[in-house]
Amino acid sequence: MVNTGRSLDGTSERPASIIEIDSITKKYGQYDALHEMSLSIQKGEFLSLLGPSGCGKTTLLRIIAGFLGPTSGDLRIDGRSMRNVPPNKRPVNTVFQNYALFPHMTVVENIAFGPRRQGRAQDAIAADVKRVLGMVGMHGFEDRYPRALSGGQQQRVALARAIVNQPRVLLLDEPLGALDLKLRKRMQFELKRLHGELGITFIYVTHDQEEALAMSDRIAVMRQGRIVQLGTGEEIYHRPNSAYVADFIGEANLIACEREADGKFRLPGNSTPLPLAGPDAPAAKLMIRPEDISFGTAEAGQIGTTATIVQSVFLGHWWRLSAMLADGQEIVICPRDNTADTPAIGAQVPLRWSQQAARMLGE
Amino acid sequence: MSAAAGQSSATGGMFISRAQATIFLGGALLFMLLFFVGPMLMVIWSSLQPPSGGTFANYERVYNDGYYWRVLLNTLRISMWVTITTFILGYTLSYYMNFHLKSPMARRAIYIIVVLPLFTSNIVRSFGWIVLLGRDGLINDGMRIVGLTDGPVQLLYTSGSIIVALSYVMLPFMVLTVNSIFQNINPSVIEASRDLGAGPIVTFLKVTFPLSLPGVVAGSLIVFTLSVSAYVTPSIMSGGRVAVMPILIYDYYMVQLDFSMGATLAVLLLATTIAIIGVYLFILRRYSNR
Repeated sequence: MVNTGRSLDGTSERPASIIEIDSITKKYGQYDALHEMSLSIQKGEFLSLLGPSGCGKTTLLRIIAGFLGPTSGDLRIDGRSMRNVPPNKRPVNTVFQNYALFPHMTVVENIAFGPRRQGRAQDAIAADVKRVLGMVGMHGFEDRYPRALSGGQQQRVALARAIVNQPRVLLLDEPLGALDLKLRKRMQFELKRLHGELGITFIYVTHDQEEALAMSDRIAVMRQGRIVQLGTGEEIYHRPNSAYVADFIGEANLIACEREADGKFRLPGNSTPLPLAGPDAPAAKLMIRPEDISFGTAEAGQIGTTATIVQSVFLGHWWRLSAMLADGQEIVICPRDNTADTPAIGAQVPLRWSQQAARMLGE
Repeated sequence: MSAAAGQSSATGGMFISRAQATIFLGGALLFMLLFFVGPMLMVIWSSLQPPSGGTFANYERVYNDGYYWRVLLNTLRISMWVTITTFILGYTLSYYMNFHLKSPMARRAIYIIVVLPLFTSNIVRSFGWIVLLGRDGLINDGMRIVGLTDGPVQLLYTSGSIIVALSYVMLPFMVLTVNSIFQNINPSVIEASRDLGAGPIVTFLKVTFPLSLPGVVAGSLIVFTLSVSAYVTPSIMSGGRVAVMPILIYDYYMVQLDFSMGATLAVLLLATTIAIIGVYLFILRRYSNR
């Protein structure tokens, strides 16, 4: 152990990290489900692993839980290597995607399963079960079997069953995926509240960017077995580091621009070069969020272009207009002011947005 | 078989009219009445028509003669051992296939090997065992060569040989029923158990086994009832030295032509089997509702 040496290095988060993923690769034949992934997860944080299906997020979660072994690399929880530590000996608990409640046990028996394995006293277990049932709002369902519960109720029991063990880390594998929208929103809020109450580290797997934004302290956006960007929701939303991330999180206009002879990027049909440094490539995409665009001629510190309105839809909280740039690329505009008059279809209008809101991104 | 097919099409999830239901159910019901309930009542009636003596003369005879009880007991004992043997072999095999065998090809291969005996005739299979277990059979020869025994050991024509041969015949039924239940167990339930701190053994005892119990019950009932009523395998494997009820019943019907006595023994066997199954299910229900 060289702990003392490490803290002198000045890496201040080191002591607070609870999970260290150290260059983990998981291969299935030739296919890399995870590729040399490294990630350090802080104590008490709510971290989301976000990505489309097949990006490796569930694989990573299963490696942390111990259901899968990495092909190479190491995983440390609380500084202890988890190599050859079976799932039942790890200080983590999982809330499974399909809840995985024991169908032959009642709600109470399901929740008491974990504490009983620790060999604790009956009355202590009963008190704990009662407490977590209260936390998830499931009093009165003690003797029901899972099949007699709705999806949302099963979800709460699964949550109670995991948190009753007071794990160091709670792993959640798309736990809200099977619930309807309204219930999902409510459970998001409750999960967030539980996270605050318990002080446990949450690692949350989801493909729903809104869910990740709503709940996470940090989001790791994954793609093809790699983390492409790691940061707070705000950072990832406002400062995506690639077109992929910009497209995945929220709605973004990604306007393809080519580097011209003078080495500068221009918007299609524009003569003014863009005041943004782009990636070192012949082509790049200008990212601008629809809500950051407004109508009018560009002033200092702004970027402007013109476009022809193709479609306009009133969505209540805002208008959504679709317009065409000089070369036929589509640009979506959601002006922040939803009471202002919107231009008619077919009108050619000047558009503008702040330089800070726009970014030049590679793939 | 026909009854089951009729019922499943009636409850197959599609909406069917009352008339259609009557046709589907009626066909099966009629079949059962004609070929099961009818003959059954005839057998009971026949058992109450002894050639001499009062109505219950046959039953008195069976009750007072220890021989019939010994054969009945032997039949039940053999069937019980066959059930236990197929349970141990079939359950562990199914468990291995479902939870440890990763390759679907290997799984399919084992499946085929298990089911294959069903494709050959009962008689052929039994004679195969004679070749294996006989005085100069493979096993006796083998034991002599290794030096385990001096002379041939009586393996064939014992209750033991009946149990071995019957278990072999019955194994597929156990494997198929247990397998279908294993396949319906959600694998993440087993992972959840491990996740919550249970080791592999506790997970098996608390989760996997209880969830597979319906398959064990169905499999053991099928194997037990088939073993109790098995005729071909026991008669070849007994070589006339060990009697089981079906052999005795056949003997009364076809050799001694005492239909009434044969019917009496058939009723006795049926009643005992039903009683045993009843007790078995009762104990199980008590245990699982604990």
